[in-house]
Order: sequence, then structure tokens, then C-alpha cells
Amino acid sequence: MAASTFSATVAIAAKDLLVERRTKTAFFSSLVFAFLVLTVIYFARDRTAVGDLDLAPGALWVAFTFAGMLGLNRAFLLERENRAIDGLRLTPATPTAVFLGKVFGNLIFIGVVELVSLPVFVLFYNVPIWRQLPVLLLVIALATVGFVAVGTLISAMVVRTRFSEVMLPVLLLPFLFPPVVAAVNLTRQIVALRPLSELSGWLSLLAGFVIIFFTLSLFLFEAILEE
Amino acid sequence: MTRRDSALRTARLGGMITAAALLGLAGIYVRALMFTPVERTQGLAQKIFYVHAPVAWAALLAFLVTGVVSLIYLFMRDRKLDLVASSSAEVGVAFAVVMLTTGPLWGKPVWGTWWTWDARLTSTLFIFLLFVGYLVLRGALSDFDVRARFSAVMGVMALVLVPFIHVTVYWFRTLHPEPVLMKPERPSLPSAMLVTLLSSIAVFTAMYLGFLIMRYALAVLEDVREQEIVDGVP
Amino acid sequence: MEYPDNGGYMVAAYIVAAIVIVVYAVSLYVRVRAQMRSRG
Repeated sequence: MAASTFSATVAIAAKDLLVERRTKTAFFSSLVFAFLVLTVIYFARDRTAVGDLDLAPGALWVAFTFAGMLGLNRAFLLERENRAIDGLRLTPATPTAVFLGKVFGNLIFIGVVELVSLPVFVLFYNVPIWRQLPVLLLVIALATVGFVAVGTLISAMVVRTRFSEVMLPVLLLPFLFPPVVAAVNLTRQIVALRPLSELSGWLSLLAGFVIIFFTLSLFLFEAILEE
Repeated sequence: MTRRDSALRTARLGGMITAAALLGLAGIYVRALMFTPVERTQGLAQKIFYVHAPVAWAALLAFLVTGVVSLIYLFMRDRKLDLVASSSAEVGVAFAVVMLTTGPLWGKPVWGTWWTWDARLTSTLFIFLLFVGYLVLRGALSDFDVRARFSAVMGVMALVLVPFIHVTVYWFRTLHPEPVLMKPERPSLPSAMLVTLLSSIAVFTAMYLGFLIMRYALAVLEDVREQEIVDGVP
Repeated sequence: MEYPDNGGYMVAAYIVAAIVIVVYAVSLYVRVRAQMRSRG
């Protein structure tokens, strides 16, 4: 069954990303949004009081969080228009495959936005990340996976409601608190070139959150998909 | 006995417990304000503690009940469990509002600041926000079954989240020690104060139960009414 | 008085708490009554 779950996952992700023309506009909107956030935050402070490296971690994660929410928004707007979720229920794909497929599709979308924003961020804020790049990428990957897993679950619920655009942030934001705070603190330590051993505290919190909430979202998704 | 009649009897029971608890609250007020000694360093404002701490406990209890009952619902799928979970959430909001208003009123005179982002306060704030989100989600879903399932999912997620919030803030503060605020000491309370506190906790626990039972009965009555509408009964 | 003069906060807190609790209790009562009345 692993093979068919895998192929179902990939098929669902592909459908989300390739079939919808809206993906391109949403992608560019998210990118521009991230750039704008980074820019505005850069200028919205007293340069003599707040250094670039003090501001950088917060700016990065505000940009990623909001761009990420735009991405999730796009994903479920597709569902809404076509009632695609009903179609998915009719396929032989298991709820696990549907969840993983949606998460994977969202991850790719948001991941690309993040990867493109990252050099811009490094440039704007004069961030010395070259040596620390692998760790930073790990942190970004972990936090994004956590955010997308919970976001995908909540989007699937919210798509059924009337005020879905507002409901998604309202329900999701509390769940972003632990991963984003951990990610910001880790980014701060990475940018300040702290030794890896110092990162272990926040990293274990982040990893713990992602493991627990990814698993939980996966199990709970079945209850969402039932009819 | 019809479901309605049974619900009305439950409502009456809840009403009686609530009335008793409200009388108890009046008693606590009298005892705390007039018969409990004033704490020397904090002054009169310290007495807010006899309301704030027990109500925070009640809000936390309500939250736990919502979360745990939501989890059980996902396994047992008994509609009554959904009604208990959602009732507990609404009662929890009421207690959380009292908690979030009395807290700053105690904090300002005693700590010098209305709010501080410590682990406990931040967690209780999030409990309030999660309750509100839960109820808003319910309000936006009209199908019984979908509403019950989705609320239960949110309930379980919220339950698992709060410990993470607590740890995150705790970690943030221990790794970044902030200037130490003047915090009220917690020496062991002299017996007069302890009795007031414990009695208040008992009263608020009873109040939670009374409110919960009444709210549950109301939920059943609303459920019966909705079912009648669906069945076309005038 | 040897202790700080902050009784105002205490009064405010006790009043706010009482109001919220009583309002909620009354709302429950009123809502249950409304359900009873709708069926006569």
C-alpha cells in the first residue's frame, strides 16, 4: 500500500501546483509580499538604536509567516471554488495520502517563496550566513513543516465556513507561536554566529513541536475528511 | 420522559448549583474584604488574589474538560460529548474574561505593570484566544456532525498546544533574563488567608459545575429545537 | 496605614468580576427560559 499512498500523495500535490493557473499569480504575490515586509521593517526603526542584525530575525519570520499564510489561503481557495475536497473523497486515496499530498504541495509553494526571499534578506540586512547556511536552512525547513502541517489541517476545516479568509489566521496564529518564537531565536543565534551547542534548546523545542503536531494533524485529518 | 423534559430537569439542577455557588461567592466576598487580614507589602489590592487565582483555576479546568472531552468524542462519537465540550468552552470564556480583567488590576498596583509576558499569563491569554477561536468556528458551521467533528479536532489541538506555549515563554525568559520585576512573594499563606483562598477555590469549582450543567442543558434544548426544525415540526 | 494605598484596584476588580459572573449567570437563565417559551 505504500506505493499507492506515495503516488496518490504526489498526484495530489501535483494537482494543487500544476493544474491551477492561479498558482503563478499567488506565487508572485507572496514573493512581492515577503520583499515588501522585509523592506518596510528595515525602514521602520531608528537605525542608531536597532542594529541590522537585531532586527533581521524578526523581520525574516514576519515575512515568512505572512507569505506562508497567503500560500495557505491560495490552497484552500482552490478547494472552495471547485469543491475539490468532495472529489478527493471519491478517489481511492487514503486520508493520509490526501493530507500528505496537500502538505507537500503547500511546502513546495511556500518553500520556493522562502528560498527566493532568503538571498534578498541576506542582502538587505547584511547577514553573515554563509558558514551557518545548513543550520539556517534546517531551522527554516522545520518551522515551515510545522506551520504547513497545522495550516493544512485548519484550512481543510475552514474551507467549509463562510468567513474563511478571516477564520484561517484567527485559528492558526496561536499554533504559530511556539515554532515562530523558536525559529526567531534560532535565527538570531545563527546570525550572531553562536556555537551550535547553544542552539540545542530551541532546536529541541522546534523539533518536538513539529514531530508532535505533524503526527497529530495527520491523525486528525481523517476526522475532517469523513462524510 | 422526553429529551426536552430531561433537559429542563438538568437545567433546574444546574440552576440550583449555580445559585448556591453565587451565594457562596457573596460569602467569599464578605470574608475576603472584611475578615481576611491585609497583606502588608501589597496592600488591599492583594485581595484580588482571592478572586483571580480561583477563577483562573476554573478557566483552566474548563479548558481541560473541553480538550479531553473533545478527544473522547473523536473516539466515541456521542453527540452528548460534543455538547459538554462546547458548553465547557463557553463557560471557560466567561471565567477567562474575569481572569484577564482581574489579573492586570492586581498586577498594576503590585508589580507596577498591567501586563507581563511571563509563561503563566501568556498561556492563560492563549487559552482565552483558543476558546474564542473554538466558539467562532462552531458558530460558522451549520451541519451538526461537521460542527461536532471539527470542534473536537480544534479542542484536541488546543489542548496539546498550551503546554508548548508555556514552555516557549518559560524558555524565552530563562534564556533572556529580563529586569526582575517586583513580584509578590509567595510565602506560605497564614491560615486565615489560606482558608479564604481554599473556600474561594471550592466556590468557583462549584460555580463551574453549575454553569456547565446549565449550559449543557441549554445546548440539549437548542439541539432538540434544531432537530425539530430539520424535521419540519412547527 | 503601613500598607500601600491601592484599594481602588481591589474595588474595581471585585466589581468587574461580580458583574461578569452575574451577567453570565443571568444570560444562561434567560436563554433557558427562552427555550421553554418557544414550545409554550
